[in-house]
Order: sequence, then C-alpha cells, then structure tokens
Amino acid sequence: MPELQTPEGGSRGLEKQRVPIIQVKNLYKIYKVGETKVYALGGVDFTMYKGEFCAIVGPSGSGKSTLLNMLAGLEKPTKGEIVIDKIHIEKMKENELVAFRRKRVGFIFQSYNLLKTLNAVENVALPLSFRGMPRRKRNEIARKYLKLVGLEKQMNHMANAMSGGQQQRVGIARALAVNPRIIFADEPTGNLDSKTTMEILKLMRRIVREQNQTLVMVTHDNHLASYADRQFHIVDGKIFKIEECHHEDEGEIER
Amino acid sequence: MRFLDLLTMSVNNLRRRKLRTALTVLGVIIGVASVVIMVSLGIGLNALMLEQYASYGDMTTISVYSDSYYGRPSDDTEPNFLTDEVMKQFQRIDHVEGVSPMLSTYVIMKQGVYETSMSITGVSREYLEKIPLAQGKAPEEGDEMKLIYGNWIIQRFYNSKTGEGYWETGELPDIDYMNKPMFVIFDTSAYYQSQGGGENQVKPPKKYMIDAAGVVEGGVDDYNSYAYSVYTDIEALKTQLKQIYKKNPIPDQPTNKKGKPYPYFIYEQAVVFVDDMSNVMDVQQTLIDMGYQANSQMQWIEQSQQTFDVIQLVLGGIGAISLFVAAIGIANTMMMSIYERTKEIGVIKVLGCDMGNIRNMFLIESGFIGFMGGVAGLAISYTVSYVMNNYLGIGQIMMGVEGDISRIPLWLSASAVVFAILVGMVAGFFPSLRAMKLSPLAAIRNE
Repeated sequence: MPELQTPEGGSRGLEKQRVPIIQVKNLYKIYKVGETKVYALGGVDFTMYKGEFCAIVGPSGSGKSTLLNMLAGLEKPTKGEIVIDKIHIEKMKENELVAFRRKRVGFIFQSYNLLKTLNAVENVALPLSFRGMPRRKRNEIARKYLKLVGLEKQMNHMANAMSGGQQQRVGIARALAVNPRIIFADEPTGNLDSKTTMEILKLMRRIVREQNQTLVMVTHDNHLASYADRQFHIVDGKIFKIEECHHEDEGEIER
Repeated sequence: MRFLDLLTMSVNNLRRRKLRTALTVLGVIIGVASVVIMVSLGIGLNALMLEQYASYGDMTTISVYSDSYYGRPSDDTEPNFLTDEVMKQFQRIDHVEGVSPMLSTYVIMKQGVYETSMSITGVSREYLEKIPLAQGKAPEEGDEMKLIYGNWIIQRFYNSKTGEGYWETGELPDIDYMNKPMFVIFDTSAYYQSQGGGENQVKPPKKYMIDAAGVVEGGVDDYNSYAYSVYTDIEALKTQLKQIYKKNPIPDQPTNKKGKPYPYFIYEQAVVFVDDMSNVMDVQQTLIDMGYQANSQMQWIEQSQQTFDVIQLVLGGIGAISLFVAAIGIANTMMMSIYERTKEIGVIKVLGCDMGNIRNMFLIESGFIGFMGGVAGLAISYTVSYVMNNYLGIGQIMMGVEGDISRIPLWLSASAVVFAILVGMVAGFFPSLRAMKLSPLAAIRNE
C-alpha cells in the first residue's frame, strides 16, 4: 500500500500520470468522553490524486465527517499527518488554516450556506472578496461560473428566493470560483429531492472532469458514492475498503 | 479584504435589522446629545462669565501700587516708589506689552455757572489710545495738555449759584466739553484759602483754560472702567505741574525723611498691559515678587473659572452616564447579532475569511452605530442649543447677562462624533473578539 501512495509510485505510471494531492498518514482523532476514549478515527492512510472524484462513504457515526473536517483544516487531528498540495496542515494555527482554505480549498455544504443578504453573484464572489479582489473583477468571475452551473437567468436573485437545487448550484459555483486545488463537499445533496440530487451530482461530475478539479464528497448513500471514481468506505473510524469504479456509462450520466 | 467591502458587509448587516439598529442608535443619540449639551452649557456659562468680567474692564491689564506711596513707615528699607526707572523694569518683564504710570492731581473745574472738584489722571499715550471715545480723539504727542472726560463726569458738576447738581435736579448740567472753554484750577489749597476770606487772604491762584480732547463713549448710565475719570497725557500733566508749582512741592508727592520732595515724579499707580490673558497671572506674580501690590481681573476670573470647571465636570459627567448606558446597549446589540449570525460567521470562516477581517467587520458595525448616533445626536444638540439660546433666555435668568448660554464650538462637535465612534468600537470590541474566535465547525454542522 505505501509504495502506491508515494509520488514516485504515481509517476511510475500504473495507469496514467497521477499527481497526489491529498496524502493522509496514520491519522487519529480521539475524543474523550468522561473517562473513556472514543476513536472517531483510528489510523487512516490513503492518497487522493489530482482530477479525481472521490467519495467518502459510511454510515452515520463512522467518522467520515470528522475526516472531511480534518482534511479541510476545520478540526485538528490527535495524531498523524495530512499533506495537502505538499503542505502539512496538521500543525497549522487557526489563522494559517484560514489562509490555507482561502487560497486552496473550495467548499460545498449540505445546507448550501449562502448569505441571505447577498444575491447569487455576490455570494459566488464572496470568497474572492476575502482575497481582496476588486468588485468588478470578482463579479465577472462569479458570472462566468454561474453560467457554467446553468444559472444565467438567476444571477441577481437573492439567495433565499431560490429553490434548493438552484441554491446548491450557486454553492457549487462559489466553490469553483476561487479556482481551488480541492473541493470538499459535505453531503451536498442531503437536502435535495432525488431528481435534483441526480442533476446536482451529474453537474458536479461534469465540472470536475471539465475543469480537472479534485472533488472529495462525503455521503452516507452508497448509490450516490457509486458515481465517484473511487469510493473510500469508512466504518468505525477505519478505512474498510477502497473501491475503484469504471464508468462505462459515463455518457449517460453526463447527459 | 478591502475596506470598502468590509464596510459594505457591515452596513448591510445593520440594514438587515433596521429596528434593532435604530433602537441602539437612539441610545447613542441620547448619550451624545446629553454630553454635548451639558458641555456646551459649561462652555457657555464660562464664556458668559468672561464676558461679564470683560465688561468691567480690560482683561489683560494689571494695576500696580506701591505701599511706600501711602507713607507706610519703613525705616530700614528704601521706599520702592513707582518711578520712571521702575516703569522701565516693568517693561522688560516677559509678555509685557506696555506700561503706563498713573499720576493724579486734584483740581477744580469750572464752566459757566457749573463747577466741580475731581482728580485728573495722567496716563501714557498708549493708555489714552485704548480708551473708546464717543467724540474727539486722543491727544497727539507733544500737544499741550488736553483732557478726556469719562461719560459719567458730567453728573459731578453742580450749579455754583444754587449749589444743586444732577442728583438734586435730575437734569444734566448744560456742559459742552468740546466747544466751550473749561477752566481748571490746579492749586486747590490756595483757591480755598482765597475763597475763605478772613485775615490770611491769599491771592486766588491762576486758572488755566484746558481744551478737551474727547469724551468717553456711552451714556450717563452706561458703566465702563473709564466712565468716572478724567484722563490726560502724563507727560503734559507733568510739564503743567512743574510750570505751576515751580520750586514748591507738588501736592500729593511723597517726601523723604527730611520732608523734602524727591527730584523726580513718584506715581501712585501704574498699569501693566500683558500680551495675552493666559500670561496675566504670571506677570502679576512677578510684579508681586518685585515688592509691589498688583491686581487684575484675571485673579477673580481664575477663581470663578475653577468653580466653573467643577460645574462643567459635573455636567459632563451626567451626560457621560447616558453615553455609558448607550455603550452597554451597543455591546448588547452586537452580542445578540453574533449569536444570530453564528452560522454565517462560521461559513465565511470556512470560506477563508481572515479572522482579523471578521473582527474588523464587527468593529466597523459597532463603530458605525456610534457614528450614526454621534451625527444625529449632534444635530439634536444644535437644535436644543439653538432653542435655549434664542427662545428661553436662560442666560438672562442664570447669569443676568445677554448672551448664548449654550455654545458648541467646532472642537466639541468634532470630538463628539469621534468619541461616539470610539465608544461604539470599544463596546463592540469584546463581541468582535468572540465572533473572531467562533468555530467554523458550527457552520457545517447540519441541522
């Protein structure tokens, strides 16, 4: 297993050129509840590569959300290493983590988390404003990505005047607009009906392919996970199996 | 993040909850208005007092006397008379703009049937030029002796035939300083002796016709510090006195231990002009240290000013309490706002908003509340101040003087707004730290 995860292992070219973007080594997260220790994560190792669509799948309480939080630098691991884009983030201070997210990470939330006082364009442009980008430039970028997710007509709608599916599209555009190295999605379709779920999932897949983005999606739904390139099954804080999916029906999914 | 973006976000957040923002701002308005009005009253009272003193006399002059002049027995020390030599010393003191000796001589004046006896005070030309005149002008240098009459002097003339004057008849004597001749008798003792009759009949002294140079402005009832005196150029007066008395001793001039007059003039009083009000007390102390009696309007003002400082402090303190309550209101509003926006703050933190930016966003918000309250409070202060000054006449009631009781100088309005912003930011400081430290996890926790 380790030899596969080293960069050399990737460039040795088992399939095609694979650049590792996330490397996790021996990751533990232990919560203390009274006297007893609860292992939310009990030693996790894996590598994710650039351009991959990965799904972290597991039942509730399996530690999948904890894992995502630590990958995104929202929680600190008890021990172990997380290397993202060749940067160790496990020992970063909070303001360094914020800067790290600002520069390298896009986020898609289950409950969309758009700012109610802003319209679609402003919401998408918001993370760019944190970088100090001038309004005109960031709004231009925001419009480009809103078109990409198919919201040409809803650009100036306020966030709470849109349907769930539309809001999540704005959320996707917001994650893409910062041109991140990785996009994290935490149950992105959890609040949507099954039809919209499919639309959103297909949209994410298409965009990840087109933009050569890396997407890490957390879900409890095995069926949704099957749309990913690789599924990381996690049970009781341990990776139980990694499943590669070859999608011969790619065309059908995307159209 | 750019400042403009921060400002926009903050203002948007305030606009989102208009009623709550308005109520918080109202608190600041009341606080700022009460501080500004209270301080403006303090300033107004102080200024009215200064104006009142200023109407009694010049604020930058110090009167200097010498004990020796009044014949205090001083056996071992040399008498420290006010002489020309001493005037030069005074002139050399820092902040002294000018010095005027004062020399009085008692005379009898006559015009037609009217006569009176009074002092003529010789002062420097500099002093003469400060006297506001209704008619005429100050005498030129080198002129012969000319008189400037105070506006109350006319009351002192009485009809020598009936013995009645203004106080008895209630009518002003028919005296024309400028156009009719005024006769002045300097040697009054000789005059009274000549009037007395009897055995020691003396030849009446010579009468001199002295022209008027001017009359002090103001009516017979308008008080000013020049109203009750007759002034003349001191050099002309000295020349005149020397001419009259020749070798004889001049009355009212002190004599040495042997009873002989000094070979120079000794002044009973001197006036020192100081460049600025703030230096008066220093100069006065210097004069006292030189061994003279000195007093000025400023010493009274200084005492009153201390009283008014205390009043102002108390007034300002009352206002400050309401501003303090407003600050608590701001802090409370900001805390509430943060509780409501926990998720939102978490989201922008996940999306990479710098912690400093989050703190600044809340500081700007609370500072903006302070700013709005400050500006509106100031507008109210100006209105209240205007009403107090123009419709209520409180100045008249409290101080008995015409004038504005409430004054808002520019520095007060500027500092009120700045202070309101500061109060807002201080009140918002701890809430903003709290917002900054909120966990981003709260945002992605699904409910």
